[in-house]
Amino acid sequence: MKVKLAPLFGIEAVAFLLIIAETYLFFNFVVPLGPIPHSLTQYTGLALLKLLLILALVAVWFVVMIGLTRVYVREKVRNAPRPSS
Amino acid sequence: MGLVEFGLLLLSFAVPIVVVLISLPRFLGFLTKKGWTADDAHKSPPTKVPEPAGPMLFLAALAGEVVVAIGFSSWIPVAVVIGAAVAFVVGLADDLFVLGGRTKPLLLLLAGVAFVGVVAIIPGLYQPVITFPILGDTAPHFIIYTLLAVVAFPVVSNAFNMMDAFNGEISWFTLLSSLALLAGVSVHAAYSSGFSMARVGSTLPLVAVSAGFLLFNRYPSKAFDGDSGSLMFGAMFAGLAITGGVEIAAIIAIVPAVLNSFYTLSSVRGFVERRRMPSRPTYIGSDGQLYPSTEPDAPNTLVRLVLLTGALSEKDLVRNLIYLTIVACLFSVATSILTWVI
Repeated sequence: MKVKLAPLFGIEAVAFLLIIAETYLFFNFVVPLGPIPHSLTQYTGLALLKLLLILALVAVWFVVMIGLTRVYVREKVRNAPRPSS
Repeated sequence: MGLVEFGLLLLSFAVPIVVVLISLPRFLGFLTKKGWTADDAHKSPPTKVPEPAGPMLFLAALAGEVVVAIGFSSWIPVAVVIGAAVAFVVGLADDLFVLGGRTKPLLLLLAGVAFVGVVAIIPGLYQPVITFPILGDTAPHFIIYTLLAVVAFPVVSNAFNMMDAFNGEISWFTLLSSLALLAGVSVHAAYSSGFSMARVGSTLPLVAVSAGFLLFNRYPSKAFDGDSGSLMFGAMFAGLAITGGVEIAAIIAIVPAVLNSFYTLSSVRGFVERRRMPSRPTYIGSDGQLYPSTEPDAPNTLVRLVLLTGALSEKDLVRNLIYLTIVACLFSVATSILTWVI
């Protein structure tokens, strides 16, 4: 029973590693990014850049998790159990 | 830790579990008498189970947090309870009137707002930094951290709510994840100077309530918590993770719920109330076993992914979900050790 769950344990492990890596990137690279802005244009540009980077981090997590799930479902659905009657 | 502190910790665990064990059977009798029951949909034919047990679970958690607040002279349990109370009220409204798929998360933002509102009045209940395994603390970012704290409440509450579909699922999930949280906060307390034991004590009522409720909610269930219970559990968990300073370990402990929410939201493309989903992710076969839906528009829940490995009885399905939660909780404890010990 537990061996059958191994792929799902693997997906959990990937989600775990991605959460750690991406949160680290967010707080240590995205948040302190850039010089102190001196004008509204600089401030807006920097804010938009940070927003895009945050969305990119979120997108990476989504893409990886969707990809892994699709591979898992594709492999399993072919042999999906059905009631005998 | 002194003898008095140890006694208070023991009391903050004992009071809520005693409240659950003594009051819940009577409350369930009252619910049954009033006809407040729900169909246990995964039984064939469906049986009636009293719902919602949430009000009594909230009262038990409240009793435990009052012990911690008075015993440790701390405002931390107050902030946790206020956030949980708002989530409980939203859940109770959903139990009674059925809120929309989008209304519920929006209302749950109020739980986060109430929580940070207490922090605005009494500063120092949490530190606006996140501590990473091995890497250490980030710089303080009060605004970003506070916004994330507010958003955490609806996200975590909904994640817990989505883990409330089968007999014993929510009680096992809350018990295991709160034990991982307790381990994280305890390790944080042991390896940090000036860390208040009230932060450890505040975690114990959640462990106690979920342990007590498990006796009634395990297969075959004699009680359902309702949304008032599951949303309250999630909000308490979020508040405790923030006040305990163990955000990363807490997120990792609930990875099965996070994945479940993510799968559901991405496959139904948005916030859809579960009663209005186009099709069910699973169905019961004529043999009484649970099968994964093969319909193309079926939501891709964690349960469906587990059932793709083979048809299971409800009891075995929940056992598999417990295995997944245990693995996530072990990752969480490892994260806590890497963060505070190494």
